[in-house]
Amino acid sequence: MAQYALGIDIGGTFTDIVVYDQKRAVSYSHKELTTPESPHRGVISGIRRLFEAERLEYRDVARMVHATTLFTNALIERKGAPTGLVTTEGFRDILEMRREHKYELYDLFIELPEPLVPRRLRLEVPERIGADGGIEMPLDEETLLERVRELVRHGVQSLAVSLLHAYANPVHERRARALIEREFPKLFVSLSSDVAPQIREYERTSTTVVNAYIKPLAESYLAQLASELARLGIKAPLFMMLSSGGLTHIAEAKRVPVQLLESGPAAGALAGALFGRRSGVGDVLAFDMGGTTAKLAMVEEGEPLIAYQFEASRAKRFAKGSGFPISISTIELIEIGAGGGSISEIDALGLLKVGPRSAGAAPGPACYGRGGKDATVTDANLELGFLDPSTFAGGTMKIDRALAAEAIKPLAAKSALAGAQLAWGIHSVVNENMAAAARVHVAERGRHASEFALLVTGGGGPLHGCEVAKRLGIRRVICPPSAGVASALGLLMAPARVDRVATLARRLGKLDWGAFERAFRELERDARTVIDATLPGKPKVSVERAADLRFVGQGFELVTPLPKGPYTPKSLAAIRQAFVREYRRVFRQVPLVSDIEIINIRVALTAKAGRTELKVHERRSAASGARKGTRKAWLASRGRFVEMPVYDRYALAAGTGIKGPAIVEEASATMIVPPSARAQVDRAGNLIVDLGS
Amino acid sequence: MASSRFNAVTLEMLWTRLISIVDEAAAALVRTSFSTVVRESNDFACVLTDARGQSLAQATESIPGFIGTVPRTITHFIKAYPPAQLKPGDVLITNDIWLGTGHLPDITVAKPIFHRGRVAGFAGSVAHAPDIGGKIRSPDARDVYEEGLQIPMMKVLDAGKKNPTIEAFLRQNVRVPDQVMGDLYAQFTALTLMEERVIALLEEQKLDSLDELGRHIHARSEAAMRAAIREVPNGVYRQSAVSDGLDQPIRLEMALTVKDDEIVIDFAGSAAQVMRAINVAMAYTIAFTSFGVKAVLAPRIPNNEGVLRPITIKAPLGSIANSKPPAAGGARALVGHFFPMMVIRALSEVLPERVVATVGSPLWCFNAMGQRHDGSAFANMFFSNGGYGAARGRDGAHVLSWPSNVKSTPVEMIEQLVPIKVHYRRFRVGTGGSGEFRGGNGQETLFESRAPGPITVAFLAERTRPEAAPAGVAGGGAGAPGEVLINGAQVNPKAQHVVQPGGTVLLRTPGGGGFGLPGKRARERAHNDVASGYVDS
Repeated sequence: MAQYALGIDIGGTFTDIVVYDQKRAVSYSHKELTTPESPHRGVISGIRRLFEAERLEYRDVARMVHATTLFTNALIERKGAPTGLVTTEGFRDILEMRREHKYELYDLFIELPEPLVPRRLRLEVPERIGADGGIEMPLDEETLLERVRELVRHGVQSLAVSLLHAYANPVHERRARALIEREFPKLFVSLSSDVAPQIREYERTSTTVVNAYIKPLAESYLAQLASELARLGIKAPLFMMLSSGGLTHIAEAKRVPVQLLESGPAAGALAGALFGRRSGVGDVLAFDMGGTTAKLAMVEEGEPLIAYQFEASRAKRFAKGSGFPISISTIELIEIGAGGGSISEIDALGLLKVGPRSAGAAPGPACYGRGGKDATVTDANLELGFLDPSTFAGGTMKIDRALAAEAIKPLAAKSALAGAQLAWGIHSVVNENMAAAARVHVAERGRHASEFALLVTGGGGPLHGCEVAKRLGIRRVICPPSAGVASALGLLMAPARVDRVATLARRLGKLDWGAFERAFRELERDARTVIDATLPGKPKVSVERAADLRFVGQGFELVTPLPKGPYTPKSLAAIRQAFVREYRRVFRQVPLVSDIEIINIRVALTAKAGRTELKVHERRSAASGARKGTRKAWLASRGRFVEMPVYDRYALAAGTGIKGPAIVEEASATMIVPPSARAQVDRAGNLIVDLGS
Repeated sequence: MASSRFNAVTLEMLWTRLISIVDEAAAALVRTSFSTVVRESNDFACVLTDARGQSLAQATESIPGFIGTVPRTITHFIKAYPPAQLKPGDVLITNDIWLGTGHLPDITVAKPIFHRGRVAGFAGSVAHAPDIGGKIRSPDARDVYEEGLQIPMMKVLDAGKKNPTIEAFLRQNVRVPDQVMGDLYAQFTALTLMEERVIALLEEQKLDSLDELGRHIHARSEAAMRAAIREVPNGVYRQSAVSDGLDQPIRLEMALTVKDDEIVIDFAGSAAQVMRAINVAMAYTIAFTSFGVKAVLAPRIPNNEGVLRPITIKAPLGSIANSKPPAAGGARALVGHFFPMMVIRALSEVLPERVVATVGSPLWCFNAMGQRHDGSAFANMFFSNGGYGAARGRDGAHVLSWPSNVKSTPVEMIEQLVPIKVHYRRFRVGTGGSGEFRGGNGQETLFESRAPGPITVAFLAERTRPEAAPAGVAGGGAGAPGEVLINGAQVNPKAQHVVQPGGTVLLRTPGGGGFGLPGKRARERAHNDVASGYVDS
């Protein structure tokens, strides 16, 4: 009997379905249009089509992994449930005050994110837990219930409860939930001590409120999807991809759905890490360029970097600091306003600007012929001969080069350039923008981009990758097979993962070591129950401990991997050393401050979910030679069009070298190999481009 | 085909590259810096200039107080150290308040970028040091000598070589020598990064220097700024403002003259400098005043020399807006932060749709010192902000840092750090100025001392006098002035006070000004204000 792993990745435009046959090591994929109103419809019809076309049996599916942008979109479009918030008396405005700073310094008309819960649905209850966890004032249970009744009368369906210092002692929040559930069994309740038990009231409340806001949607959508999949005859359990790049089971996903916000991009970063590893490259920048945005994730030593806070639903899409802080472990990545649909214009200074405004899927680039008049990056690529109109998007979509040229003409006239020169300008400016964002992102993490290889995926990654790499001083570009759907493959190699955090806020020198060790064990025990429920059969679990540490007097913490437990007073030196080492690694220098504070402790448990590492066999082309012919394409170094050789990627034998300039085509992607570069398919199936020095 | 090598495409790409070079250096600097104001409040800048010290690009996230200061310091460096005296690897330094940014903690450094044997440009950086000696953050300093160590212009690195004498002097004069030196080296790292990136760019583009590129950047920026100024009707627009001052209010006067495509701003008539640390050196006046002009007329043009060319800023020497030695300037923000608002108000007469009403700034700070129950000492500062001003089409945000950018300290952190209980932190309802569009509310925070003995408290608190209340625009009402109360009674916010165990401190920050006539407020907005409790019903 065959054994399939099924990956389902719902994006804004397309739902990608990928099946990997674990015995034969082959994969099948299908792109279905996303059905935003009821996303499970697109999933089910996509699966049906793929299984019918490839004659696969539903009962042979051994496991399923799902990623979706549904929750992120619900947040952006403000389509979550009517949500209420209960806080400690005196603090309901914290959610709206944020941290009082601006994300942009020079804009007088700065747009701040509208709080998800309006002031009239934020109510207060008398109670007080102290900073040490002691009860200073008991919970006023009568007032609590009166407040909740009032919120329910106002139509609230989901409730966030975020009380001061609840990270130190959750007793009031838990008592509140018990009381509320008794009277309102259908009301969804999210506790801050459950969702993000960490010090700093604004960030914790923000995370809890977002969780509450999407919780009813997660409940209904996941239940419906699971039942529809079962109806197809798939018996395998459905796993959800988390923002952290790990998997979990449905109940955990429903409990804290805020963990799912970045599941799609996380899969892309995992795929980048995997394909890099297969070619023996540990440090890669995973660069995924699609229709409206490009995403960039840093992979070090084969593992994507994890961040412990990110932002959702930015008021200004690409502006850091304009969204809601979410204190949840997530794969670290940036989103850049650059994609095939990015619109170009000549600005007030007479300069060519590209993006972040995008023509999106509707009307789309001018060449789609759906009414778009603005010149986009895709129009430029078509004009330059980089794209073949007959094979665009696997031949499923007709695009018109004349319409592209028409859109580019006015910009060319304004800047006294020929059409092709302007098109090359669009191509180059968007590359420069992406390189600029990448350069700063990498520098913020203490590295230089030139130390990495660039791994390109998405429709635009292979088209733009080499030029972006050159600008970053990167010499090697890696293009995995089926670059257009690589991200969905990432789902199938994710491990099960659970992250847990608790606030301690103690000086290292004054630690009760017994309590310290117990605190870690408690987190590990809680995490272990989730792993066991995800992967029955006692999988091998690896445990990582970390802590948010700082020198006394500092206002920020550094998340530091800790040595293995159990901890005793003798562990002091080792923990201290781990912090100093990490501090030096990140900041290059260490201040002479003697005392260290532990603010939060963290555990991450992971267990392998799949049986083997993914191996994707190359499909072989029937063609006798790899070279398909030539086509007219722009060669910037000559400033004119030349006949550029076109190769069929499937026909390239491992080890066969190609000299640039050249175009390498496969069904879902087109790679542009620049002059003086050399490209070859390696034994792992990746196309490796060496740009030389 | 195109006549110049700098066309719409190539110039855009190279300009983007220059900005990304300073942004990359800024990211490296922030990351390696110890100073919390650098990390948390962007209190730094990284700048590239041409060989004459004219700025080409400034890091996107550096705060407005540094617009143009580094290039001006670099031109002073060039006078003191003409190119013949410079070698590759040299780094120049100063924190002189009149050559630099107006107060001693800001250390400016610059490095000549050599290419093909000549100075092709300069990499510069300024950052707020963790300490500079002298009295700690006190507005009472009588002169600059009380404020700490002054570093004259000199080579801190000579052809890359450290100078042990300078380093020894620096270390001996600051409280946290390792951190101060660490931050200085972080600045050097940023300079080297800019230098390397610029040289690579010049090689790639086969350019001798940044001058030709600079001419194009300056010309386009200047032309755009002039075009923006031309849209403002000619005239003289006057503004006056009152700051709380220390012992008595301080009067600020400004005349903004628009003539065709140029603006002249003159602070003649403003109060004379005082024997306290709230004097503003010219560099800081220029930075914040031009920020006001730019924020209204051309917010999207990146900061560079060309933008500033059509703007002339003057203030009488010896006035509070153009101090002369030995005036102290440590708390210059208390006066300097009024300047951009004055510009904005001046332009509001003719461009009401492009301005915001007065903001409840400058920032507020609560400083508490005492002992914990275990006998250990504490001294902490907690920041807070007032309401933001309204604008046509939008109500002011409740509580926002402007023109600086300082985050508030979480209540849970305050209670973990010091023996102080926070009873509430909430909007100060009804304090936003009325108007068709309402000003943002300030906030009120009630602190109670739980320390075993008396604690000492001090404040940075502005706009507490009625005449300093944040004014409205186009008929909008003023926001409420701020208040500081101890044990329920109003106190002088500029003085130090002692609070006994169980005593309380209530900080009430100002509301922002309103926009337009209150009678024109839309019914739904008024209704929502009442329903939400943003105003008293």
